[in-house]
Amino acid sequence: MRRPLTRRAFLTLAGAAALAPSAALAAAETVPKDRRRMLQVNGYATDAESPLDALTTYITPNDLFFVRQHWNPMYPDARRWALIVDGEVSAPMQMTLADLKKLPRAEATCVLQCAGNGRGLFRPPIPGVQWRYGAVGNARWTGVRVRDVLEKAGLKSSAKHLHTFGSDKPPVRVPPFHRSLELDKALQDAIIAWEMNGVPLPALHGAPARLVVPGWAGDHWMKWLTRISAQPEPQTGFYMETAYRFPETPGEPGAPVPPEKTRSLTQISVKSNITEAPASVKVGTRATIRGFAFSGAPDIARVEVSEDGGANWMEATLDPRHDPYAWRLWSLPWAPKSAGTVTLLSRATDSQGSTQPRDPVWNPSGYLYNGWHSVQVEVTA
Amino acid sequence: MRVWRGGAAWLATGAIAAALLLGSSAAAAKSPKKKPRSKAGAAADFDVKLPVLGTKLQEFPPGPGKAVADQACLQCHSASMVLQQRLTEKQWTASLEKMIRWGAAVSADRKDELLAYLVANFGPENERFEPLVTRPVGK
Repeated sequence: MRRPLTRRAFLTLAGAAALAPSAALAAAETVPKDRRRMLQVNGYATDAESPLDALTTYITPNDLFFVRQHWNPMYPDARRWALIVDGEVSAPMQMTLADLKKLPRAEATCVLQCAGNGRGLFRPPIPGVQWRYGAVGNARWTGVRVRDVLEKAGLKSSAKHLHTFGSDKPPVRVPPFHRSLELDKALQDAIIAWEMNGVPLPALHGAPARLVVPGWAGDHWMKWLTRISAQPEPQTGFYMETAYRFPETPGEPGAPVPPEKTRSLTQISVKSNITEAPASVKVGTRATIRGFAFSGAPDIARVEVSEDGGANWMEATLDPRHDPYAWRLWSLPWAPKSAGTVTLLSRATDSQGSTQPRDPVWNPSGYLYNGWHSVQVEVTA
Repeated sequence: MRVWRGGAAWLATGAIAAALLLGSSAAAAKSPKKKPRSKAGAAADFDVKLPVLGTKLQEFPPGPGKAVADQACLQCHSASMVLQQRLTEKQWTASLEKMIRWGAAVSADRKDELLAYLVANFGPENERFEPLVTRPVGK
């Protein structure tokens, strides 16, 4: 059955086709209707992850993209919205969307992963949203480079950090979600985005504009952005000094880590997931195992699958579609040799040589889970 | 999908949840009757359509302490946030202290009751939580 392409589907296909003409069109970039659902882990504030079997396309559709909110959002009114640009700049400004759109258009297709994706898989358990696999997606973000905005405001050399603020306000005495990131990273490739996959950024994803920080975890991707401020020092407060920190060196699972032995969490870790594998298959029959892989490095070099607990690995084929810090879809034809329950494992290696470990680094806040992914397949005689 | 043993599992609708939110959350201290409008200078409105995904919300299991949990926890987040936890008594003690510091409405004489309820229901062996399967998120 052929359905007319929506504008977004067309744009997605057109964008992908420009990169890899044949492969893009060969892989049907739609998620089957029976997989189009979300897993709500928290009703309010809204936290929902994508089921793995819906994460089978290079571009994750907006309505199947995971949602993470600290609190009930306070949506800015787009008609009155203006981004405050201040701090160590010679000409502090307020820029409306129309002002921003006069600057050169910038675009990035890359992975957004919640820092806590996989927290629910750590043992011993860790408090917080118990994400499993699906607090991750790959989208095309369009807007303007942070660099262009700061240069327009006359960025001074005294600035070393970019403080970021959104419109969401915490309830009662909960500390505000104020963040900062190193200015070098912001100038390198961060974007203030107002489009997601070719349509205006949905309210749930931070309309009218959010920060996009390729290769870095979601805590840096401030939603409902209202202000960026160039500063000599990092931001302070709970969400800088206590949350979103990672042990400098791995410790024993469950052991506390003193604050001075932690660093700010930046890049995401190399990781692969299996999104499609048969629940059961006959010996000798060929099945196709599929998945995605990504890293805080710009690309994935290799994805491997093991059927024997990690003793031997079969190399998967990487899909040719790629952008810096985007994920790679992968696939592997597989014919089981003997009957019984088989555990398939996947692991990825990134373009900087880091390989997904069997066991992730346990850390007190449960960030960046990236242990080998496993699925079980019943092989029948 | 798993449901609570022997208990009414669900609050009815998002509308109820939104009303509950608007009635109790300090973040939403605007009148629920009025259509939200931006005030000049104020960046934001509270969205009365929340929760955007949910048609249903999960409820705390019955037992001593449920009333305290309803009052203290649901002010800022839905019960799911608690139902999914698997924490030791030590972790629950730390979490509860943090939440009280952050404004959870728990009177001193009900704190132990709440802690006991959390420890009894959501300890390390708690496997009763399943996410709610919902429709895709609106555009």
